Amino acid sequence: MANLKEIRNRITSVSSTMQITSAMKMVSAAKLKKAQDAITAMRPYSDKLTELLQSLSASLDADSGSKFADNREVKKVLVVAITSNRGLAGAFNSNILKQTTVLNDEVYAGKQVDFVAIGKKANDFWAKRAKVIANHSGIFDDLTFDSVAAIAEDLMEQFVSGNYDRIDIVYNKFKNAATQLVMTEQFLPIVPAAGGDAISADYTFEPSKAEIVEQLIPKSLKTQLYKAVRDSFASEHGARMTAMHKATDNATELRDQLKLTYNKARQAAITNEILEIVGGAEALNN
Amino acid sequence: MYLEIVSPEATLFAGEVTSVTVPGVNGEFQMLNNHEPIISLLQEGNVKVDGNVTIDEDYASKFSKDADGKTILPITSGTVEMKDNKVIVLAD
Repeated sequence: MANLKEIRNRITSVSSTMQITSAMKMVSAAKLKKAQDAITAMRPYSDKLTELLQSLSASLDADSGSKFADNREVKKVLVVAITSNRGLAGAFNSNILKQTTVLNDEVYAGKQVDFVAIGKKANDFWAKRAKVIANHSGIFDDLTFDSVAAIAEDLMEQFVSGNYDRIDIVYNKFKNAATQLVMTEQFLPIVPAAGGDAISADYTFEPSKAEIVEQLIPKSLKTQLYKAVRDSFASEHGARMTAMHKATDNATELRDQLKLTYNKARQAAITNEILEIVGGAEALNN
Repeated sequence: MYLEIVSPEATLFAGEVTSVTVPGVNGEFQMLNNHEPIISLLQEGNVKVDGNVTIDEDYASKFSKDADGKTILPITSGTVEMKDNKVIVLAD
C-alpha cells in the first residue's frame, strides 16, 4: 500500500490542477458568449451584402471580367491558416494543421504552396516547414473589422499582382460549443455569386451596375475573411471550454479514487496499530 | 420611412425617420418618403438622418448632432439601397 504522505501530496496536486482547469473553463465560457454575440451582430451586414451582390451579378451579363474572378492556371497557392494563439483547446489547432498539411502534401502536391498565418500556432508549425509570407497573430488581441480588412486587402493585392493564382482559407467553423467544423474555402479567385434572383429593372443605379459590383466584391471578400476569423475565434473558446470541462471531470474522478485509496490506507494503518496493542496486551496477560 | 444602418460589426440603427441624406459617389442626395428605388455607392462623408431618432446607447458615441438637430454618422464608404420606403445603409 502506497504511503499516506505520498497519496496526500497527489490529492493536493490534483485538486490544484482542477481549480485551474475549472477557472479556465469559466473564462472561456464568458468569452464564448461575447464571441457568439459578435457573430450574430455581423450577420445583417453580410447577409445584405451577399444578397445585393448576388442579385446584381445575376442581372449582369454572364462574366463581368472582374480582376478578382481571373481563373488562371494554378501554379502558386497561398493558404491562409487560422488558428489560435494559445493551446489547451483540444484538437482545435491540430485539426487546422492537419488540414493544411493535406493541402500542402496532397491537394496542391507539386505546386508552390506558401502560407499566411493568423494565429501563433499556425505560424509556429509552418515557419519550420514552408514559407510563411505574413504572420498576423496580433489581431486576436483586439479583433476589429478594420484589422481583418487590412489583411484581406493584402491578400487581394497578392492575387491581383499575380504573386499567387489561388488563395484558400482554412478555419474552424463554429457549430456549437462542442463542435467545430474544419472548413477550406476558396477566397480568390472569387466563386461566382449564384442563386440570386435578377434584380428588378425599376432601380436607379449610381454609378453603373458593373461598377457597383466591382466595388462590392472587395467588401464581400473582407466580410468573408472577417466571418472566418470571427468563427474561428468563437470556435477556439468553445473548444477550450469543452476541453477544460473534460479535464475538470477527469481530475474529479482521479481525486475521488485517490481519496478512497487514502482512506483505505489510513484504515489499514489504524487496524495494524490496534492489532499490535492487543497482541502486546495478550502477551503481558500470559 | 424605415431606415436601417448596418456596419460589419453591428446594426447601428433601425427605426422610422422622416428623411436621410447620404454622400453618394456622384454627389450628396436626400431621400424622402416614396423616393424611387435606388442602389448607390457611397463615398467618405456624413449620413444625415432627420426625424425623431433614438440611438442605442452602445453606439451613441459614433453619432453626433448638427446645428439643425439632424443625427450624423460619419462613414468612409458604403452602399445604400432604397425600395418601398425601406432604406438600408451598409456603412463601412
